[in-house]
Amino acid sequence: MKKVLRLVSVQIWAMLAGMVSVGDYKKKKTKALFSGFIAFTVIIIAASFAYAYLTGSGLMAFNSVEILPSMFMSVTSIVVLFTTIYKVKGTVFGFKDYDLVMSMPVSNGKIVASRLLLLYFINLYFVLIIMLPMAAAYGMLARPGFIFYLFSILTVFFIPLIPIIIASLLGTVFAFISGRLRYSNILYIVLIFAVLVTWIIIPGFLGDSEEAMVEISKVISGRIDKIYPMATLYSRAVTQGNVLALVIFLTVSVLAFLVYSWVVGKVFIKINTEIMTGRHKADYRMGELKSSSPLMALYKREFKRYFASPVYVLNTGFGMVILLLFAIAMPFIDLDRMLGDMQITGTIGKYLPPIIMFCMGTSCTTMASVSIEGKNLWIVKSLPVPASTVFASKILVNLSVLSPAVLASVLMGIILKIPFINGLLTVFTVISFALFISAFGLAVNLSFPNLTWSNETVIVKQSAASSITVLSCTCISGLQLGLTTVIRNFRLSIFISLCLIWLLNVLLYKRLAGKGARQFEEL
Amino acid sequence: MLKIVNFSKSYKGGKRAVDGLNLEVESGDIFGFIGHNGAGKTTTIRAIAGVLDFEEGDILIDGVSIKKDPVSCKKITAYIPDNPDLYEHLTGIAYLNFIGDIYEIGKAERKQAIEKYADAFELTADLGDRISSYSHGMKQKLAIISALIHKPKLLVLDEPFVGLDPKAAHTLKTIMAEMCRNGGAIFFSTHVLEVAEKLCNKVGIIKNGRLVAYGLTQQVTGDSSLEDVFMELIDTDGSKKGTVQA
Repeated sequence: MKKVLRLVSVQIWAMLAGMVSVGDYKKKKTKALFSGFIAFTVIIIAASFAYAYLTGSGLMAFNSVEILPSMFMSVTSIVVLFTTIYKVKGTVFGFKDYDLVMSMPVSNGKIVASRLLLLYFINLYFVLIIMLPMAAAYGMLARPGFIFYLFSILTVFFIPLIPIIIASLLGTVFAFISGRLRYSNILYIVLIFAVLVTWIIIPGFLGDSEEAMVEISKVISGRIDKIYPMATLYSRAVTQGNVLALVIFLTVSVLAFLVYSWVVGKVFIKINTEIMTGRHKADYRMGELKSSSPLMALYKREFKRYFASPVYVLNTGFGMVILLLFAIAMPFIDLDRMLGDMQITGTIGKYLPPIIMFCMGTSCTTMASVSIEGKNLWIVKSLPVPASTVFASKILVNLSVLSPAVLASVLMGIILKIPFINGLLTVFTVISFALFISAFGLAVNLSFPNLTWSNETVIVKQSAASSITVLSCTCISGLQLGLTTVIRNFRLSIFISLCLIWLLNVLLYKRLAGKGARQFEEL
Repeated sequence: MLKIVNFSKSYKGGKRAVDGLNLEVESGDIFGFIGHNGAGKTTTIRAIAGVLDFEEGDILIDGVSIKKDPVSCKKITAYIPDNPDLYEHLTGIAYLNFIGDIYEIGKAERKQAIEKYADAFELTADLGDRISSYSHGMKQKLAIISALIHKPKLLVLDEPFVGLDPKAAHTLKTIMAEMCRNGGAIFFSTHVLEVAEKLCNKVGIIKNGRLVAYGLTQQVTGDSSLEDVFMELIDTDGSKKGTVQA
């Protein structure tokens, strides 16, 4: 156990070091990041509490408040499951320090346990900031006894275990299947997207238009209980104080973890060999070569690099996939009926820019585009091209990733029958915001680079650059939402935000050409 | 071809990796840069390649300052680090084609150069495979091919023979000699003193960031071997009399 914890602690320190970019350690930056982390935690705790309290109040009216804990536990488990699947390749299997770790005198089972525990600690933070505020809200509404609090605190540490194991299993199967084919990463990305989209989109289509929010919560909770029996056990243990359910819940979680570590430990090397060994045919014959301009060559290289990283694509491409699928599905959905509001189509039309901007805010690829160079940075830096060309290639890739937003805005504008001028303004806002996101992410990444990462997840999901970019872009889409709400004139609100975005764009692109280029040279 | 003038580099924390380095490599020279681990070889090489930023001194390639016009300098230079990390997601041919695009080499010329060097290093059949499936030596060969296809005037190599099989090492030495015969210049670091002694017409020995011996190989070694000179300089303080000409 000592060795397992030692391995985990090294990994966690490596991850934290990656988050604050220890290589470019600056006290002020670390302080700012720490403040940002605290602010993020407080916001999520407040949001979780508010959501739990509101949902719980609604459930109270139906005498069903006892489903609140299991509902939150189920949703948290699903979030853990889906945010872990794509981390499996790179964390549990095919990790960069594989040779180093495997050369240590530690059993494979312990190594597997240490990798799973690393995932566990990452997820535990999110489980705690969602589940504990829920427990507080439930406590205020249902006034349960001491046992509820005791069992809630006891069980919260075990909630992530089973979802992590299921995610690890699915992630391994996907990695294993895709590893046998030529375009393995693309297939891996498609498989995970397929699972995520199936879970998010299909329940939306199946939703009954007449159901109120509380009824929907009950239906979802019931559905999850059926497919995830752990939620039922959890509910019985926490809300009814059922000791047997508690014991079974804890035993199953721990046993599953131990058994999985042991079993995977047996085939760990075999699986890693399969996943990490590339195809080698050695049958190449020189043929015609295609040539392109330096910028296009850098763009193609950047594009291939992007799609070579499933974590990168899944984290920055999901917003665009959902947006595009929603736009395509719109003609087949009766939104007015589905959401129980006869005016909803008009309302969505008005709020189209902030909705699309929100999805775009989660699709910034440049926020990690410098860090992802890692040890390969020497290649770009030794090439006879100015920093501006390298930046342009990175921005172009981001614009390509964001291009579905333009298509979606056109499609949605037509479907929602938005007036032509308003539609044009929406498209122009989307293009302007795409230029902003791409430059902003790059500027932030140049200020917070991390070239010493051992796991791509660190720079894509857990880095200072990614947190600052996603939070800032989300806040800007929130501001646009606020503007549209406060200023009831659509065109005026769009005009104001366009002026602001373009002001920022001019400043950002000027900064990239000057300070940004110098920062790049200093890397 | 390469002129280093008063080049110094300090790292965060104040450690002076290189201190007031002056040297010159002319067309046709094969310059061997020798020093113990941590002496400042890689720092110097990275600065010549335009990969490392520096404040003190200047580095001129074909008369152009790498600080003032890095792009022009890089166009005529090729650099291979000691442990070249290449784009593992690309195939060998895709990587070479990428380099060809960046250096704007014409299609026919590119194909001819790739064929010539890939055949010489016996890597042609593997070019269709992903770099991630390559061995260390194969990656090294690919890095060397990518450095040669754009016909650089100056080749900057950090420990180029590490990981190469004897045949590939011989091929590289032949290519280096041929390149210098055609007016090119080579600056490379090595720990293999026999190679430096046989291959280089000029050598420089760096110790704790300072150049302690520099000049024509025969001048530096005198009647001793390069190994003896190196050991003497490393074990004692000061420079080898009469050889530091910078």
